[in-house]
Amino acid sequence: MKTILQKCPRLVLVIAGLALFGFIREPIEDRLRVRLVEEKLLLPPPGQTAMEQMSQSALMGTLGGLRSLVAVFLTLEAYEHFSNKDWEQLSQTYAVITNLEPNDEEHWVTWIWHIGINATANMEIDDRLPEFERKRRFFAYALEAVDIAERGIKQNPESATIRMQLAEVYREKLKDNCATSRVYGDTIGLPDALPFVERFHGYFMARCEGKEQEAYDYLSGLYRESERNHLPTLIVEIKKLEKFLNIPIPQRIPDADPDKRPQKSNRKKPAPNELPGGLIIP
Amino acid sequence: MSDSNATTPTLRPPTAKVPLFSLGRVWTIAASTVTQLVRMKTFYFLLAFALVVVAVGNFNIPTTPAKELSMIKKVSFGTMDLFAWLFAIVSTALLIPRDLEDRTLYTILSKPVRRIEYLVGKLGGVLFVVGVSLLAMYAICAVMIYAREINFVGAEFEAMKADSSYTQEEIAEQLTLIQKQGLRAELGIAVLASFLKASVVAAVTIFLSTFASSSLFTIIVSVLLFLIGHAHTMATNFWLHQSDSNLFVQMLVKVIKILIPNYQLFSFSEGVVQGEAINYAVVSQMGMLTGGYLIVFLLLSLLVFVDKEF
Repeated sequence: MKTILQKCPRLVLVIAGLALFGFIREPIEDRLRVRLVEEKLLLPPPGQTAMEQMSQSALMGTLGGLRSLVAVFLTLEAYEHFSNKDWEQLSQTYAVITNLEPNDEEHWVTWIWHIGINATANMEIDDRLPEFERKRRFFAYALEAVDIAERGIKQNPESATIRMQLAEVYREKLKDNCATSRVYGDTIGLPDALPFVERFHGYFMARCEGKEQEAYDYLSGLYRESERNHLPTLIVEIKKLEKFLNIPIPQRIPDADPDKRPQKSNRKKPAPNELPGGLIIP
Repeated sequence: MSDSNATTPTLRPPTAKVPLFSLGRVWTIAASTVTQLVRMKTFYFLLAFALVVVAVGNFNIPTTPAKELSMIKKVSFGTMDLFAWLFAIVSTALLIPRDLEDRTLYTILSKPVRRIEYLVGKLGGVLFVVGVSLLAMYAICAVMIYAREINFVGAEFEAMKADSSYTQEEIAEQLTLIQKQGLRAELGIAVLASFLKASVVAAVTIFLSTFASSSLFTIIVSVLLFLIGHAHTMATNFWLHQSDSNLFVQMLVKVIKILIPNYQLFSFSEGVVQGEAINYAVVSQMGMLTGGYLIVFLLLSLLVFVDKEF
C-alpha cells in the first residue's frame, strides 16, 4: 500500500478514488432519487418548456436547488402582473411556477382563478376594448382556465381543490350546468373534498337538460340518506324536480317548500271588539 | 575540538505511545475551529435571516391563509438551505488557508497530531457551527410561522363563526387546512435535509482546499460544483434529448455523474416543507449516503494532505 502511495501520482489516485466511489454510489443515488420523487419529497426536473421560459435568475435559482424560493418570488411577480391586469404575462409566469412545483395544488388553483375568474371578469368591464373583442377574449380566457385545470388534474389526480376551482369557472363564467355537475361529481370521494360537493353535484345536475330524472333520484337519495341533508336548497331543488317530473303526491317529500312558507303578517291580529277601520266597540 | 569528546544528547523515550486516532485531539481542533468561526462574526448572518423571515411574514398578497403560511415556510426554509450550503463552502474554504496564514497549522502539525485528525476536527467544527446556525434559523422561523398560524386560525374562526352558514364541521375542516401548513414537528426533517446537504458540501470543499492554491479558488470551484451537482438530472435529460442520445454525450453525462456529487438528492426538504408525508426509511438512507460522502471525501483529502509540505 505504501509503495503504491509513493509510486503513483496523487492525482491519479484521487481520480481513481472519486471514480470508484462514483460507480458505487450512482445506482444507489438513482434508486433513491426515484423513491424520493415517488414519495413527492423531491420535485421532478422542470419540463423543457419551463427551462426555456425561465429568466436567467430563475434558472440559476433552480439550478442552485432553490426551486421553492424561485417559485415564491415568481408568485410575487405574477401578483404584479395581476395588479397591472397583464393576463398574458401572468399566465406565462404561472406556467413556469407550476413547472417548478407541479405538485403544489395551490399554484394551479390560483392560476385557474386568475385566468378563469379575474381575467374573464376584467373582459366584462374593460371599456378599452370593443365589445366583440371582449366577448372573444372572455371565452378564450375561460377555455384557457379549463385547459389549465385539466393539466393540473393530470398532474395532481387526487386534487379536490383544482376540481372545485374548475367547477367555479364552468358555473360562474361558462354557465355550463352539465359540466359543473360532472366536475363536482368527479370531486366526490377525493381526500380533500368538502361535504357540499355531493349536494352541488345534484343541484347542477337538476339544471342540466335531460338529466332531471337522474338528478331527482340522486337528490332524493341524499334526502333519504340523512336528516342532516334536509337543507333548504336541497328541498327546493327536489320540489322543483317533483313538479317538473310530475311525481305523484304520495311519493313527494313531506317538507314544505322553503320558498313558499307563509309569511308572517306584520299587522296585529284585530281585537274581538275591533271593527274595520280601527273602531273599538266599548 | 574532536567529535569523540562531544556528548551526543540522548533522546527521551516517549512516555506513552501516541494513538493512531484520538477523539480528544479531534475534539480540541473542532473546538478551536468553532471559536475561530465565531470570532469571524459568522453568526451575524442570522440577523439578515431574521429580516428575511419578518419581511416574508408580512407579505400582503390577497391569498388564503394556508397559501400564505406555505409561502412563509418556503422562503424561510429556502433561505435557510441557501445560508447553510453557502456558509459550509465559505467557512471550510477559509479555514486551512487561514491556519497557514496565521502559522497555526505549523504549530498543530509539529505536535503529535495526525493529519486525518486535523481534517476531521476542522470539518467537525464547521459542521457544528452549521448545525447550530440551522437550529437558530429554525427557531426564528418557527416563531414566525407559529405566530402567523395562531393569528390566521383565530381570524378565520371568528369570521366563519360570524357567518352562520358554516357548520362546525366545515369550520373545523378549514382550520385543519390552515394548521396543516403551520408549524409541525416534521419540519425538523427539512432542517436535517439542509444539514445533510451542507455536510456533503463541506466535505467536498475541504477536499478541494487541500490542493487549492487560494480560498478564492476553492470557493469558486465549490460553488460551480454545487451548481453542476444540482443540475445533473436536469442537464442529463436536456442534453440527451437535444442530442438524440448521442454516445459522446452519454459518456460525458456519465463522467459528470460519477465525478460530481448529486446535490439535488439532498433537496428533499422542499417536499417536507410542502407538507408531504415523510418516509423515514428513505431519510435514514440519505443519512447513510451523507456518511459515505463524508468518509470518502475525508480519505481523499487525506490522500492529498498527508505528505503535503508546508
